[in-house]
Amino acid sequence: MTELSLRLAISFVQILAEMSIVMLTVAIMTLAERKVLGWMQDRMGPMEVGPYGILQPLADGVKLFFKEDIVPAGANKAMFALAPMLTMVVSMIGFAVIPFGPDMTLDIGGLTIKPFVVADINIGILYILAIASIGAYGIILGGWSSNSKYSLLGGLRSAAQVISYELNVGLAIVGVLLLSGSLSLVEITEAQAGGFWHWFVWGARPDGFFPIHTQVFAFVVFVIAGVAETNRIPFDLPEAESELVAGFFTEYSGMKFAFFVSAEYASMVLVSCVAASLFLGGWNAPYPGTIFEYIGLEQLAWIEHIVWFAAKVYFFLFMFIWLRATLPRLRYDQLMRFGWKVLLPIALANIIITAVTVYLFPRG
Amino acid sequence: MTFKAWIKTITFYELVVGMRATMSHLLHYKPITMQYPHEKRALPDNYRGMLSLLRYDDGTEKCVGCDLCEAACPSRVIRVVSAEVPGEPTKRYSKEYYMDMTRCLFCGLCVDACPVDALGMTREYEWSVYDKRQLHLNKEQLLAIGDRSFPVREKQLELQHPNVAFFNVAFKHLPQKPD
Repeated sequence: MTELSLRLAISFVQILAEMSIVMLTVAIMTLAERKVLGWMQDRMGPMEVGPYGILQPLADGVKLFFKEDIVPAGANKAMFALAPMLTMVVSMIGFAVIPFGPDMTLDIGGLTIKPFVVADINIGILYILAIASIGAYGIILGGWSSNSKYSLLGGLRSAAQVISYELNVGLAIVGVLLLSGSLSLVEITEAQAGGFWHWFVWGARPDGFFPIHTQVFAFVVFVIAGVAETNRIPFDLPEAESELVAGFFTEYSGMKFAFFVSAEYASMVLVSCVAASLFLGGWNAPYPGTIFEYIGLEQLAWIEHIVWFAAKVYFFLFMFIWLRATLPRLRYDQLMRFGWKVLLPIALANIIITAVTVYLFPRG
Repeated sequence: MTFKAWIKTITFYELVVGMRATMSHLLHYKPITMQYPHEKRALPDNYRGMLSLLRYDDGTEKCVGCDLCEAACPSRVIRVVSAEVPGEPTKRYSKEYYMDMTRCLFCGLCVDACPVDALGMTREYEWSVYDKRQLHLNKEQLLAIGDRSFPVREKQLELQHPNVAFFNVAFKHLPQKPD
């Protein structure tokens, strides 16, 4: 076996593992959303399929798979089929640069691989921003090619919303980049090791505890803009049910619809992963080191790291559901005003303040 | 904007209050859902469900074909075709009896109107069907509903005068059949 084919095989296995983890999380999220939303509204959620409805995602998948695929009359068939694929692919490949676990290396057949990150490229966060903005194309294409007024309105709203809020995401990240001095998510996460006061949301210097470089404003801006970018309530104008039936995927059914829905959930997971990596220390525990190291099991420390990463991601995912259960939808002008006149100045001011504090109090 | 309102705005105070409310519902989870096909609500005693025709304990139909139910029905559910009992010119019965249950609003006026208590309202309510025509019920179907819902039947009073048999429930002073 040549080195190249071994490299390809290892990458393929990694991608497969990562895809299955993400799709499993998406399946869990579709169930968790309905259950938690039900519990918060004094309902039960799905109860019929399996004990307490835990097999509901499976039943949904089977149902959507065997559902008739309806293409509306006058739709652009090629674009209509392309849009869900584009959305799905774009929301899945963003995970390639997310470090799920510690930055350790394995030697397999003379090759050095990193088991917990598929591609540790040095511009990871730029890659994610670029990929996330391609996701808007899928939505616009789906809205335009359906030949339906609701879809088109949903697509247009999505375009305006994603462009406005992506700016805020990008600007909120800049503070973190100033602190870490790197665009690689692995290095950004490693810069936050050693206790929660080193996480960028607290922002102590490596030798101190006082939050001199705090990124809490950037964190809030990032989370709000992330909710807006994934088209979730309270920013779900592209799919506002009471106004636009279902927005850009009004005309979709069957597996294409399933692609759109799972893409939405996957981008939720992606935003949660990025927020956890950038602001909450990624795989780092909120205390220095790991418990496994203290009891002398260094080779198992990665389990604890992965658990902490999963805990942070699921915290964000729970917050998405919690917000949905609580908040009503914003009006369109409120959405735009909030994005441009509130979040953007905060993000810009955060950049300036962070730059000044990093210049005055360098991070060693 | 006062300072207090400003502080509330920048700390998302209203938002936090709402989030706390939903979280308290999650933590004190008491669903008000009734898992319908598995558990059913207890019906009140005067529940007005599916209509049915009743019989006496010897199996004869109570209905005397007087058309009063048809006259009482506000939504014209009932259609009665009355006829003489063959060989007994003083007695009548309903030769045909139809109920279009798609129109019925379960007011119970027909039951009140019936002079011989030949109509009854059962406690059945699961009558959804795929074909609307299945809700157009004839006499046999209505009698069958009555048979399964009212297993204990009223006795026919044989000793009373045939002319007042029409109103056999109200005349308590007339001689009754001994038990």
